Amino acid sequence: MTLQILLATSAVLFAFGLAAALSRSNAIMILIGIELMLGAANLNFIAFWRFSENPSGLAGILFVIFSIAVAAAGAAVGLSIIILVHRRIRSVEVDDASNLKG
Amino acid sequence: MMCAFFNTVCADPLKFLGNWFVVLPAIVLLLAAGASVVARNLIHAALFLTLSFIALGVVFIALGAEFVGLVQLLVYVGAVAMVIVFAILLTHPAQLEKSRTPFSGLGPAGGAAVGFAVLAVLLAFIFASPLGKKPLPPSAAAPVAAIGEALMGDYVVALIALGVLLTAALVGAAVLAMDDKKP
Repeated sequence: MTLQILLATSAVLFAFGLAAALSRSNAIMILIGIELMLGAANLNFIAFWRFSENPSGLAGILFVIFSIAVAAAGAAVGLSIIILVHRRIRSVEVDDASNLKG
Repeated sequence: MMCAFFNTVCADPLKFLGNWFVVLPAIVLLLAAGASVVARNLIHAALFLTLSFIALGVVFIALGAEFVGLVQLLVYVGAVAMVIVFAILLTHPAQLEKSRTPFSGLGPAGGAAVGFAVLAVLLAFIFASPLGKKPLPPSAAAPVAAIGEALMGDYVVALIALGVLLTAALVGAAVLAMDDKKP
């Protein structure tokens, strides 16, 4: 068990999330991709905390707790925006929300 | 007896159950995340995402961060996944099965290409770095009491700011989603 395995897992998870956020057309799927990328970042924090010289400093743990809370707030706001967009244009496809396109 | 068993396991799960305690949930995590990304049905994607959140929480617990693992399960599986499912149900009444165009933006090929490029760069740096070959430290524990003392001590300003942020975000979400036609 080395740090590399965990970091590689996190990198693959981040790539999945990035691909989803860049290529899917549904706004909810884009949000799912963003959540996957945030999970990859949290996995990195926990991995570096586990392998750190001074794990009793708890910096990695606390950063992940704050990160989870901020991600939850972001998900709540993002999904309410998606519901609002759906109410206005009856669609959650990002290509349909093009009112501000020049 | 029971208490001794739990103390042995929780003090260092890696030593007790071996690397498989981390590797198996990590494999489940990647498979579920990949299935969630390529799923055409939104509900399937949300359920695979929930499975990947559960596996991520198990990885955290296996690495010795029990509190963070449980917070991950409570917040992501209990709240975020449920909110995503509710958003899908509220926005997709009839066309649940067929998404008209499942891809846009860069398209499936472009998204996969960018994902692979980023992955290749990340893996090259990860496997080139000497940091990654460090052996596993004997044990790392994050007792809940110490986390609480840190949150109420050194990190109290950040905790209060986080409380303000969460309040503002959730009130803002409720105001945004409120139907302003009805009183």
